[in-house]
Amino acid sequence: MPYQAEISRDNPTCFLFVIDQSGSMDEITETGRSKADFVADVLNKTLYTLITTCSKAEGVRSYFDVGVIAYGGKEVASGFGGALSGGIVHPINAISEHPLRVEERQKKVDDGAGGILELKTKFPIWFDPKSVGGTPMRAALDKTRETVAEWCEAHPASYPPTVLHVTDGQSTDGTPEEMADALRRIATKDGQALLFNLHVTSQGGPEILFPTSETDLNDEYSRMLLRMSSPLPPHLAEFADDKGYAIADGSRGFIFNGDPQCIVDFFEIGTRPKLVADR
Amino acid sequence: MSTPELRQKSRLPLALSIPKTEDSRNEDGFYRSAKGVYALSDGASVSFDSASWARILVRHYTRNPEFTRGWLAGAIAEFRKLYDRETLPWMQQASYDRGSFATLLGVRIVNEGRLIQIFAIGDTLAVLCDGDRIKATFPFSAASAFTRSPQLLCTNPVGNAFLDEVDFGYDLVADWTFTGLKQPALLCMTDALGHWLLSQRDRNSSPISALRKLQTPRAFARFVHEERAAGRMKRDDTTLIALW
Repeated sequence: MPYQAEISRDNPTCFLFVIDQSGSMDEITETGRSKADFVADVLNKTLYTLITTCSKAEGVRSYFDVGVIAYGGKEVASGFGGALSGGIVHPINAISEHPLRVEERQKKVDDGAGGILELKTKFPIWFDPKSVGGTPMRAALDKTRETVAEWCEAHPASYPPTVLHVTDGQSTDGTPEEMADALRRIATKDGQALLFNLHVTSQGGPEILFPTSETDLNDEYSRMLLRMSSPLPPHLAEFADDKGYAIADGSRGFIFNGDPQCIVDFFEIGTRPKLVADR
Repeated sequence: MSTPELRQKSRLPLALSIPKTEDSRNEDGFYRSAKGVYALSDGASVSFDSASWARILVRHYTRNPEFTRGWLAGAIAEFRKLYDRETLPWMQQASYDRGSFATLLGVRIVNEGRLIQIFAIGDTLAVLCDGDRIKATFPFSAASAFTRSPQLLCTNPVGNAFLDEVDFGYDLVADWTFTGLKQPALLCMTDALGHWLLSQRDRNSSPISALRKLQTPRAFARFVHEERAAGRMKRDDTTLIALW
């Protein structure tokens, strides 16, 4: 059975976020914020949650390696800045130590006695919104393929890497489909790498969540992103089902035109491997 | 006057435990009082400081085995004294806010075993045996129950919302007795061993007889290592409390 490997410090898994930073990501969404701003916020929260999951009183345990590949204009590069900018993938404890900055925010919490408390909370930022130029998606997915292949070679027994790709536009450097196919064929002993795609669009129309086929997708570009997406493994399908999504046999890790909550859920579902050893 | 079987149960339980790996901290906690109250707790690895939380829960239970909302609030208050939230680095503050999680299995042996009260939250298992036969298990009766995420006590009150749907005096307790059993025994175990036991219960050789042979820490460690290596037992902190 694939996707059963124990995830531990000796056998970490890898999450790769591939983020479209092309010019069209500056479009303002119904939330009043640009797509780039919203995606940056969700990515920062996802990193925060992953690190929180690995944090114990004595420090951060490196259950995960995490990378960000950002593409826009003519550039495909690490999405991290500062001390992390020299590489794409880093152990999560290194990421926890090197945010760009730490902001202070207020959050409301249950006080345990029926009341609400306002707590000051430190919130780290690794990733600022950016939107410039064209969409070199083919080059970005080729870089992702190369990164995934290197990681799998170094971690042959681990739970395979999960790639979460967020884009809003058509590739401007050729079709990325063959790169995606090659990426999904890379495997560890525990299964093939997973590629999930989130199409954030301003085209309007109904949202399409974890579909099984291309039938309901109107444009060729969305259909291609669906074909590029891996089927959800059973444990992720179960988690998506628990969150209220209609999941069927063969549902793929693909969302088209999802509302903000769907985008948050996409990241949460995609970064939810089984922590078999670590309950 | 006690019967011979019941008098035998006045002695101390055998407590055996090994961590997930040789270099990791064991996050299972066990405590007993002089009044026949035992408690075993399994701290969840993916949480801030589950070892301390497990230790607080078992001490709290053995001091006062009446679980109530106030009881839980007292345990949480005791945990919060361990850390100054405001001085924690951001990642530890976030993990502290999310909470520390642990099971709680409490046992009260009343009247030398005429009444045994079991209290359980989570997937730590109590087993009543007669010789090599399993007479009852609580809170689970099938190995498949261990595949679901258990509900755990949390240092963040939000994580305890599941208790709103629970009848403390009914859903969380079982009453057993040694009376009428020829060779009574009571076992408490954390989930790796509990899952092993329930998945082995229908085999020809009784898993209880295998556990009965484990009288020393070395024998227990060897047994757990062998079962892990054979793929029959999950790699996790593993604890057995046995009143043979």
